[in-house]
Amino acid sequence: MIENIRDLARKWLESKEVDAIFGLKEQDGGVAPYLFTGRVNGISELGKLTTSTQYRRLCYTCRPSKDNILSLMQRREPNMKIGIVARGCEERALVELAKRGQIDLEKIKIMGIACSQEEAKECKCERPYPNNLVIGERVEGVSGDENINALLSKSLPERLAFWRHELSKCIKCYGCRDACPMCFCKDCKMEQKIFTETGSLPPEIPMFLFIRFYHISERCIGCGECEKACPVDIPLLTIFRQLRRDMKDLFDYEAGIAVEQESPLLTTLDESPMRKEVTSGV
Amino acid sequence: MAEFEPKILAFCCNWCSYAGADLAGVSRLQYPPNIRIIRVMCSGRVEPEFVVKALSLRADGVLILGCHIGDCHYIYGNHRTKKRMAILERILGYLGIDPARVRLEWVSASEGARFAEVVRQFTEEIKKLGPNPLKEVRA
Amino acid sequence: MEYKNVLTTCPYCGCGCNFYLQVLDGKLIGILPCKSHPVSQGKLCIKGLNAGDFVTSKDRLTKPLIKRNGKFTDISWDEALFLVAKKLKEYKESYGPDSIAVLSSAKCTNEENYLMMKFARAVLGTNNVDHCARLCHASTVVGLVQSFGSGAMTNSIRELEDADCILVIGSNTPEQHPLIARYILRAKEKGAKIIVADPRSITLVQFADYHLRHRPGTDVALFNGMMNVILNEGLEDKEFIKERTEGIEELKEVVKKYTPEYVEQITGVPKDILVDAARTYAKAERASIIYSMGITQHTTGVDNVRSSANLAMLTGNLGKPSTGVNPLRGQVNVQGACDMGALPNVYSGYQNVVDEKAREKFGNAWKVKLPEKPGLTIIEMMNEAAKGNIKAMYIMGENPMVSDPDISHVKEGLEKLEFLVVQDIFLTETAQLADVVLPGACYAEKEGTFTSTERLVQMVRKAIEPPGESKADWEIICSLAKAMGSKEFEYVSPAEIMDEIASFTLSYGGMSYDRLQKGGLAWPCPSKEHPGTPYLHKEKFSRANGKGKFFGIEFKEPAELPDEEYPFILSTGRIIFHFHTGTMTRRTELLNKEVPTGYVEIAHIDAARLGIGAGEFVSVQTRRGQIKTKALITERVPEGMIFIPFHFAECAANVLTNPAFDPVAKIPEYKVCAARIEKVKVS
Repeated sequence: MIENIRDLARKWLESKEVDAIFGLKEQDGGVAPYLFTGRVNGISELGKLTTSTQYRRLCYTCRPSKDNILSLMQRREPNMKIGIVARGCEERALVELAKRGQIDLEKIKIMGIACSQEEAKECKCERPYPNNLVIGERVEGVSGDENINALLSKSLPERLAFWRHELSKCIKCYGCRDACPMCFCKDCKMEQKIFTETGSLPPEIPMFLFIRFYHISERCIGCGECEKACPVDIPLLTIFRQLRRDMKDLFDYEAGIAVEQESPLLTTLDESPMRKEVTSGV
Repeated sequence: MAEFEPKILAFCCNWCSYAGADLAGVSRLQYPPNIRIIRVMCSGRVEPEFVVKALSLRADGVLILGCHIGDCHYIYGNHRTKKRMAILERILGYLGIDPARVRLEWVSASEGARFAEVVRQFTEEIKKLGPNPLKEVRA
Repeated sequence: MEYKNVLTTCPYCGCGCNFYLQVLDGKLIGILPCKSHPVSQGKLCIKGLNAGDFVTSKDRLTKPLIKRNGKFTDISWDEALFLVAKKLKEYKESYGPDSIAVLSSAKCTNEENYLMMKFARAVLGTNNVDHCARLCHASTVVGLVQSFGSGAMTNSIRELEDADCILVIGSNTPEQHPLIARYILRAKEKGAKIIVADPRSITLVQFADYHLRHRPGTDVALFNGMMNVILNEGLEDKEFIKERTEGIEELKEVVKKYTPEYVEQITGVPKDILVDAARTYAKAERASIIYSMGITQHTTGVDNVRSSANLAMLTGNLGKPSTGVNPLRGQVNVQGACDMGALPNVYSGYQNVVDEKAREKFGNAWKVKLPEKPGLTIIEMMNEAAKGNIKAMYIMGENPMVSDPDISHVKEGLEKLEFLVVQDIFLTETAQLADVVLPGACYAEKEGTFTSTERLVQMVRKAIEPPGESKADWEIICSLAKAMGSKEFEYVSPAEIMDEIASFTLSYGGMSYDRLQKGGLAWPCPSKEHPGTPYLHKEKFSRANGKGKFFGIEFKEPAELPDEEYPFILSTGRIIFHFHTGTMTRRTELLNKEVPTGYVEIAHIDAARLGIGAGEFVSVQTRRGQIKTKALITERVPEGMIFIPFHFAECAANVLTNPAFDPVAKIPEYKVCAARIEKVKVS
């Protein structure tokens, strides 16, 4: 599969369909996101283009500027056409970012790749494929999640005790927020003293993480980067995955599927759009 | 042991519910003294974080009162509120906080009696639920 | 457009986490956790995730500075180097080499520390070289060498996850080493018993099975009490003791009288809890001890360290995975700076300066005759400076004006100096006293290696260019050495320096950049084929006869105890949101937002008695000085104790601390002194 990706990347670059390929590069005994522009000193770099089960997504929010890396690139070179090697979750992130005016999807060409059944299982991914599937075979998503079932089978006091234990471990690294492609607010509520007391550990339970649960609820693309970034293994994805189900249930909405699909928090109760001037901010 | 007297916070929108509360007062309607009112310009101003903060600061219940759908001074403010509160309820449930501690109701400026009734019912319900378990978490 | 990610090692604590520096067209735009790194595994703490912020701070030094008429003005590199070289030569010739002292830095790379100690010894001709390891783990280096023959963490971080029992003493791991705490919590999830011994109720206590809340400074008694229980109940590992150790009789003799009742009197730990904790530790298949500055920063620091070694040996918890005695080092490269010999008594690899063979080896290589007499430690340097015996000082990347005990005395010493050079990335409190300031490059702007607390040597890679005219510290040292006429500093790259280190240092013998580029190596790594050593003392200890040594150690009280005049015990330490003297973290927006300034933790009961309200200003006084700061009323400290984080220059805890030090390791007693606290009257 990796050879197919490299070949296609080469084709796109040579035919000038794109000016650069955003993908993972093998380096320093690991992999990291990289912008392949074709040749460096006359040698093709594309031999180092790869995929990884560790980095499934690439377009992170940069900090402290709080801009998505793609939006920084596009702002720097607005006419550049970037090809991106994207799994399903990456594509969903791109759709949501475009929906929220962070990136220009017109200038992005998605090289959609399918996740294997095993990869899908690891992430408990419900949609392990992009809409623009170019390379690989689409496999079915994973529907069950024993963590969600375990949570839902608990009584309210048991749930509270569970989260009280989990959230007590929190060291307020903001790693979940920093890993989230949907967390790009310049003025983050998690940092505000009025909501969460600053400087103390663990941060206010459940306020600190509630802010993220709520703010990301209707935009979560289910990539699980937040949970993977957590140094104390708080099962954040359990709530986010359940919230993705809730969005379908409450509003018949799924984040990251189509740019035209308006967030339910920006539409009226009969799902028609609110007047444009009142739809900025959620 | 003395009967549990809950502390309840009510966010009332300026244009309808606060006027409704006022009417209840002017009409000398009786309702339980457990509530403290915060006036907001619109129920849409009530961020879910406000509700969680109130619970976190030991309120036993939180009421959000706004104009009836279609009557919002800001046209769609209460549409937003309703959708947000639906999500809030779910999250509270997953975290183990009874969503019944939070209630959204529409009370217009002319519904003084309804205001008193909503407060009475909600207070009764919170009494049944007992003290907010988050009190213990923060202790 | 160029976008790349440069893998490097986090510049803060000793965990040795790796992350990528995201670079867009030569500009640092963010930090990306590294998921393939064995310790950090794609996770970081708040400091690591924000480690890019200070790099681009507008406060960075960009030009060499000279102080004229009390004010700094820019000068060129040529002028600066010429002047510094000339001055240092003058002092060397007129007052002798020992009139000069050098502070190296645990924030700089191994290569730079090696060069700095080479510069001090071969160019200046003095052994007066030390660094802040003196202030954090000098007692570890001394104590564990006496017990085991090697002064470093015996096991590796990830092994903790599989321990059955973890004793955390004097380490607020979740705040000071967050990514190590991760493995403690994971061990807990797998069923390990956690014992926390700490006077403060740190966040880890919530997850502990036992909390031994002993009175500050009574660690030896606590250890002896646990060993008393273990010996009385026959829980010791008799075979291990017989085969691998010596001196057990001496230990038995001393701990006999430390019955749980007696220990309760000294430490305040209820005897039943002590007994249960001792049994739990002794009965565990794999038990690990984690300690940090809570036990090292005492006048009995070496005793405390050797006591922890006693306990581990008594139960055979050494030389196996997930066991050991694990000092957590607080600075990114404090292990490396020690390994490199930035200490007054040893060359790299702990080869002693009084050992003629070692002296000859280094002397021949560097083509000079090296000084024989061990040099001065930090505290002694400051004392001698105050007395006028040290005339000139060269400080690289350290900030004694915030980090050292009894700052007023430090200031007196530094002001008395005739010539002070400071090489740093910011104009620190110390740099402000300098005659010449040389701008260094930070971790993101240079190449080198750091050695983490688990002895793991890892690459630091250059991602961006240093700001303005600032230069990598190794380049500065080389230029200065050349300006002073040395021909032994002709390095083209840090890789060459590492090759020289490897050739002189057995434990680093098999290391080279070619190998390190592929991943870290834990020393000892004596040959090119050696895979590195995750845990030490597998078959034998590193002492000459291969045996571990027990020491019978009596409990001694701290140097200064509370009395009527100063009724509180003052302890100092770090918090998660800041690092050391705050030079970097206080220039990081998010960290500053979390904790903008210092405070003093005081128990509810004491605050109520003294009429101090939350957030009110108080004055804290000791025999050394006084500071004004805000009160934080909390249950974290017990009655009679106060705690102040030391990061904040405007309310510096170290104005108050006691410079009394351990007689052997010369580490000061930061953790206990007597203090008074009162409300500041609003006028």
